Amino acid sequence: MDTVINDFVHVLRRHRLRVSPAESLDALAALKHTGLSEREAVRDALRTTLVKSPEDVETFERLFDVYFGLHPQQEERKAGLKVPDHDHDHGTPAEMEFGEEAGGEAPDSEEHSHEDADSTEFRRHFDDERMRPSDDIHGESDKMRLSLFSQELILNRKPGALDQALQRLTHQLKMRRARNMFSPGDLVPDTGGQELPLDVSAAEMDELVDHLHELEVDEELIRQLEEQSDDILRQLPKLIEKMKERQQELEKPEDDSALRRRSLRKLLNFSTAEQRELEAAVRRMARQIHGARTRRLKQDRTGRISVRHTIRNNARYEGIPFQPVLRRHREQKPRLVLLCDVSLSTRNLSRFWLHMVYQLQSLFSKVRTFVFVADTAEVTQLFDDHGIEHAVDEIFSGRILDADVNSDFGKAAEQFVAESLPTINHRTTVVILGDGRNNGKPPNVEALEEISRHARQLIWITPEQRWFWSLGASDMPLYEPLCDRVEVVRTAEQLASVAEELVTSRV
Amino acid sequence: MFESIEGVKSGLEEQSYVCDRRVATVVFLATRLNKPILVEGPAGVGKTELSKALSGALGRELIRLQCYEGLDEAKALYEWEYGKQLLYTQVLREKIGELLGPTEDLHQAAETLRGQEDVFFSENFLVERPILKALRSETPPVLLLDEIDRADEEFEAFLLEFLSDYQVSIPEIGTVKAESPPTVILTSNRTRELSEALKRRCLHLQLDYPTQEAELQIVRLKAPGIAEELAEELVTTIQSLRELDLRKAPSISETLDWAQSLVVLNAENLSRELIEETISVIIKYDRDAEKALAHLGVNAQNSSGIGQRQPTGENPEEGMYEMHRSTHKHAH
Repeated sequence: MDTVINDFVHVLRRHRLRVSPAESLDALAALKHTGLSEREAVRDALRTTLVKSPEDVETFERLFDVYFGLHPQQEERKAGLKVPDHDHDHGTPAEMEFGEEAGGEAPDSEEHSHEDADSTEFRRHFDDERMRPSDDIHGESDKMRLSLFSQELILNRKPGALDQALQRLTHQLKMRRARNMFSPGDLVPDTGGQELPLDVSAAEMDELVDHLHELEVDEELIRQLEEQSDDILRQLPKLIEKMKERQQELEKPEDDSALRRRSLRKLLNFSTAEQRELEAAVRRMARQIHGARTRRLKQDRTGRISVRHTIRNNARYEGIPFQPVLRRHREQKPRLVLLCDVSLSTRNLSRFWLHMVYQLQSLFSKVRTFVFVADTAEVTQLFDDHGIEHAVDEIFSGRILDADVNSDFGKAAEQFVAESLPTINHRTTVVILGDGRNNGKPPNVEALEEISRHARQLIWITPEQRWFWSLGASDMPLYEPLCDRVEVVRTAEQLASVAEELVTSRV
Repeated sequence: MFESIEGVKSGLEEQSYVCDRRVATVVFLATRLNKPILVEGPAGVGKTELSKALSGALGRELIRLQCYEGLDEAKALYEWEYGKQLLYTQVLREKIGELLGPTEDLHQAAETLRGQEDVFFSENFLVERPILKALRSETPPVLLLDEIDRADEEFEAFLLEFLSDYQVSIPEIGTVKAESPPTVILTSNRTRELSEALKRRCLHLQLDYPTQEAELQIVRLKAPGIAEELAEELVTTIQSLRELDLRKAPSISETLDWAQSLVVLNAENLSRELIEETISVIIKYDRDAEKALAHLGVNAQNSSGIGQRQPTGENPEEGMYEMHRSTHKHAH
């Protein structure tokens, strides 16, 4: 049973649930108490021990259903299974499972299948699509899955069946590898084909065969399976070629400017659904910041007298308070200062970024936002006072600063240093969003250096690829060495992932 | 101690706490595995109530520690009684003189004094705070750490030792370990994310707004005087309000408050006027109230105005009919 739980935990981890070894041990311990006879009890036990955050519950539920076979229309299937033509299916499925588990490893499903392999009835039973999700929550589930898979390989000798199997395998892998930040674990929409991990599927085949060896099943079965898998592996090159072709086709028509235009347009016109996703992403990021703002009293040179500590410390003077102990609240939350270029060249990106910032601002206490073109202005208050839409309109309307002149980071930075440098300290992360183009004006590297020296971390987000920097009047090469990180961001998703890193790395 | 999941369920129900199997399973596991439960969920869904019911069901004392910003171990675990210590030092000064009188040199005096020093750092001078109390209690109590998300991160870290091993280290005395571990329940409103380390040590339980049936059951249990029809109507209304985009959706505690106030007002039917008068019981923000009234007002108008045509009560069918229709409307 522990291997099954371990395997399930692995699946959960692949879907970005954080499960520690201690927690999987808890899960095992919990299952000992709930027993395995009741599916919902098992589900509850696993949920409470493995899933610690409400966002992950949905993923867990889905994976539980997938992994432990039963689909939502479980009742139907149970009814189907009760058809008396399966000789090893006695009693209710639940009882059967429990019995098997209690009996330990004995009735290996693998052997079952082989014994019955020549029974046509049995074959029909497995060909039946209905039967695919194995009806077990008991410990043998991964073997069961495996056996179903191998049976499918061996029993279905129809041409094309292998392709299908392989496809399913890769699909499965794809699903596991999905790293979509908005809905972890969801099937990645079939875009480029670059997700298809063919090498992994080959490895998986080997693993499958190895696994079968371990299970001590009939040699014959393994030999057959090995043959089959060799077949699959032989077909791989062809498949790879096909996929390459497809991929090339997909990538061909775009030269970079088109891509850029498109991605920027995408940035501007994000739908309400996308905005919701974005908000959810930001909220999730915010949660990953550990700890609330702490209001704990720390000893300090200034502050209020702490009677408790004073008496304690002065016990050596017979309680006469020679040395008063002063304590005061100290805030320990990271601060964020954002400098946003809202000139024409980066306007679309800025608009998006401002939405992002707005979310951050409403979640944290200390986020200050500045916008600049040639002048700098703080808009933190604006966000507080008006909604995001209004604030963004206001920013771009030109009432706050002249948004239609050429951007001049040099001047803006100088202004920022002169007016707002005190807002930056060793706990502050400064994020600058801009393209680093000063349109021929002096780059004013010193100002940025000043900012960099005061801040804990300086991150520059630019919409321009590195190779553009050498073209025209970009000063990015000058600025880059001063930044802790320069991120090239051209799509909403990239931006979100930068923001996520920003938050999780606890800057 | 509970025998089974069903046992937990019925045990809690005896304490008039309605719970589903999910909750019962978690509680059962917590008592079996001796692990703390971390209960998360919006305000007023019965997180705190759960621990009260649990302590009732187990027949154990409930020790409660309300967390807040700046809470530290001096308030959660133990504190030395400095005043008492000082007083003792003063009073015992002469005694100490006597004690040290026969000693030959300073060295020996210090040695003698050292032999006596736990007089001043003994449990005598220790003020028990909730956690220490829970650890040293003879029958293991139910310890509720309420709204742990309000405490700061240091406090969370401080709790880790306690939560995993049910022991705390007091520098001057040593480690205090619970003979039999208390049942610990932590609640969180998710105003912030708790640390992984803390979550790892707990069983996690997410409480949410109940289903209509469950809520109805709760109302019946907790507001016994309420008329059956009114209860149903009330729960349907609340459930429909929760689907609105409100700043603070009405929770179970608000449902109960409302039910109780309606009982006090001797209401028999949820008329429009009555809703307007009592909306402040369930809705806590002005803008929410407007939204809610608009939502309910539209309903009332569509169902030919519950408020205008008060059922006389003489014709039971009339009332039933209206009830039925309004229920139907709310369900949308």
